[in-house]
Amino acid sequence: MFCYQCEQTFRSDEGAGCAGTKGMCGKDAATADLQDVLLHVCEGLGQYLHHARALGATDAEGDRFLLFAFFTTLTNVNFNAARFVQLIAEAARLRDRARALYERAARAAAKIPENLPGAAVFVPASDMNGLLAQAGEAAIRKDAAIVGEDVIGLRSLVLYGLKGVCAYAHHARVLGEERPEIYAAVEHALDLLAREPKDIEPLLEEALALGRANFVAMEALDAANTGAFGTPQPTQVRVTPVKGKAILVSGHDLKDLHEILEATKDKGINVYTHGELLPAHAYPKLKAYPHLAGNYGGAWQDQQKEFADFPGPIVMTSNCLIEPQARYRGRIFTAGPVGWAGLRHIAEGDFSQVVQAALALPGFPEDVEEKTITIGFGRTAVLGVADKVIEAVKAGQIRHFFLVGGCDGAAPGRNYYSDFADEAPDDTVILTIGCGKYRFNKHDFGTIGELPRLLDMGQCNDAYSALVVATKLAEAFGVGVNELPLSLIVSWFEQKAAAVLLTLLALGVRNVRLGPTLPAFLTPALVNVLVEKFGIQPIGEAKADIAAALARAA
Amino acid sequence: MFKVELLTRDGASIAFEADATQTLLEAAERASVYPPSSCREGGCGVCRVTKVSGDAELLSCSSAALSEKERAAGDILLCRSRARSDLQLTATFDQTAIGSAPEPVRTARIVEIAPQGSTTLRLVLQYSDDPTFGQAAQFVAGQYAELAVPGAPIKRSYSLANTPNWDGLLEFLIRIQPGGAFSGYLRETATAGAELIVHGPKGQFTLDESALAPRWFVAGGTGLAPALSMLRQMAEFADPHPCRLFFGVNRVEELFALDAIEALRAGLPQLQATVCVWKPEVAWSGFAGTPSEALAKSLKEEGPRPDLYVCGPPALIAATNSVAAAAGIAQDRIFSEKFSPAEGPVEKSTEPPGRRHLWPGVIVG
Repeated sequence: MFCYQCEQTFRSDEGAGCAGTKGMCGKDAATADLQDVLLHVCEGLGQYLHHARALGATDAEGDRFLLFAFFTTLTNVNFNAARFVQLIAEAARLRDRARALYERAARAAAKIPENLPGAAVFVPASDMNGLLAQAGEAAIRKDAAIVGEDVIGLRSLVLYGLKGVCAYAHHARVLGEERPEIYAAVEHALDLLAREPKDIEPLLEEALALGRANFVAMEALDAANTGAFGTPQPTQVRVTPVKGKAILVSGHDLKDLHEILEATKDKGINVYTHGELLPAHAYPKLKAYPHLAGNYGGAWQDQQKEFADFPGPIVMTSNCLIEPQARYRGRIFTAGPVGWAGLRHIAEGDFSQVVQAALALPGFPEDVEEKTITIGFGRTAVLGVADKVIEAVKAGQIRHFFLVGGCDGAAPGRNYYSDFADEAPDDTVILTIGCGKYRFNKHDFGTIGELPRLLDMGQCNDAYSALVVATKLAEAFGVGVNELPLSLIVSWFEQKAAAVLLTLLALGVRNVRLGPTLPAFLTPALVNVLVEKFGIQPIGEAKADIAAALARAA
Repeated sequence: MFKVELLTRDGASIAFEADATQTLLEAAERASVYPPSSCREGGCGVCRVTKVSGDAELLSCSSAALSEKERAAGDILLCRSRARSDLQLTATFDQTAIGSAPEPVRTARIVEIAPQGSTTLRLVLQYSDDPTFGQAAQFVAGQYAELAVPGAPIKRSYSLANTPNWDGLLEFLIRIQPGGAFSGYLRETATAGAELIVHGPKGQFTLDESALAPRWFVAGGTGLAPALSMLRQMAEFADPHPCRLFFGVNRVEELFALDAIEALRAGLPQLQATVCVWKPEVAWSGFAGTPSEALAKSLKEEGPRPDLYVCGPPALIAATNSVAAAAGIAQDRIFSEKFSPAEGPVEKSTEPPGRRHLWPGVIVG
């Protein structure tokens, strides 16, 4: 196996990348290799869909499959090797259908169909051993010796950014929001990757194009979430358990959470969110369920202890899954793109087994003293008080905004983000998205006037909200986003974060601080390009970085 | 206090402290570390580990649980050893086999008890609701439980034949041993509604879920129970692994659970089942011979080498090992659990150190 798509990848003096029998995330070599093969077949599917689309022909099933298939390969999503064998067969079937679609469209347009190269003509083996033997043909580094590390790094940036786009777009799609331009961008990127590009410039352009596509994907997701569940409102969320039967829902998928709330209505079962589902409590249609009892636990990397201690079933709806431990292996369910061999999987949204499990398991024996946190400062809530915010800035009450957002992780160095939030001066506001906030979201940051100093804008999936707020504030102040008293301090972990970073770059946002380590697939030369073009900087020491940000803004 | 470090097969290091008065198993459990164990009296060998460095006092134990050869190689039993210095130990089990909470002890009631073939009983229990565990029957397919009769010194271990469920049901297939104490209880005293104490679940004879090879199950007599449990789980989870079952009894009248095997096909269409009768005195159209003989025949076919899951009497385990070795199946791809009559000593392991999932504590009768 070889994989270096996430922040926790193995690093040594010899280089970076998980290349043993198991990755740092727990993904075994066979699963990693099968994921490579799946993505390669998907490239072929994307090639044909791209060419068909140029002739006016599309295949919704093929496009939707691409989103789902890519989502399964994100870090900590699907570890079930057998599942990938099935997905590869499905990808090959859809690719053959897309080829026929393209050829029909070409003939209809009186054109001779092009003989597409690369992945388009790759024939996946029919069994596991054959597929594993083919992994070398699909590996991201297969021609590193020929094209060089910079090209491999950029191909990786495109591939991993594409994974993030697909994940966001899949979340939106399951709620009925689809955008043709996202599918077109996905197909375009796959067509490019399938051609095994050897030049830097087109790959850089493609990365930025994906950043733009990701903005559309995030907009679609925002529309999907708010359309289905209403506009997030500032909300107090209980973070201590209440007595009674209980279900824990983790991941990012609001639709699954909604279906679980429906399935448990009037059954005496309390539903708790975990991890990135915390922001669900701010949506009017979700918070209207009285048995959405609270949030349990913290960020994803603490799940093994938290799940073990939870006295009911657990549903993992999307990333980030860690190897289930014996104490809760029998009562954790996966849903949608998530998977682990030997766990119960819910493919079609039927959560009745989860309800049965909740009723059969003990639940919390007693109430724990009530504690709450406040969330729900999405774009509407923040922009609703924009006049007060602008006044406070003009009056010098708010000196600066820090967006401290992104993923949390287990690796050392992430205390930087809590240090940063704690050290931020009292006349600054901290915006936060993603699960990195669990490191400091129970701290008391006080208020500036009536405005809380800590504004939780939601999941990593809600990065769109932060960008809209920045854009609107820039308009109000009559400046560009880069001229706002705003600094972005981003903790990255996996491929959704890579996609958001590409969006920031595509929108011209400069001087983002990124950490705790830079992506391993970016070579020093590529990092230099990002530094020169976009002012990207690695995080340093919290106090010094705050001082530098305030000095630059002054 | 002495420092004890236990290195698991998958490389995890588990540390706890032990004084000279307590067994290593007691010391571990005091530190909320619960290694696999069964009899706790040196009789079963489930808690066998290997001493790498340091001194430990080994108390008396069964030679079946720990042979002279194993002692000479540095093996000890956690339940019968006391630390005499800091210790480094290696285990043949993974970190996930080590619990972090005491083994559950729950009550259950008999909901069904019915003969299956001439020598077997099907026993179905239902857990009572419990403030700690609720109603659910949580275990891993392939595990076993120890059943005890309240107020009587009768305690026996049996493999579960069903899958984890939220109704709290536990299904066992039990061979009736002439003169066996638990057999006598089941035949003469047990009725629907009677209460039993359930210790467990226990054991590591479970599917290697991450393995990609086909799964072949070799079951002798009531060794079918854990195979049935694992296959039923595969069916429930729509597991696509190719799988085969070789199930055998001595005589035709002893056959049981054929309806259960047939029912499996609905959820597991790739299952190929071979039912074997060793001595068919009457007309028998199935395989005449032992499951290991049927296995040997099938292994001559082309195809990827399977993982073997074997459960049955010691002779079947030994025969299957020989067949597997001749077919080039690696030792670490054979997962086995043997059982032996209740009143006799538990058979000692004949497998080499490092063999996975060898849990000789399951007793029939």
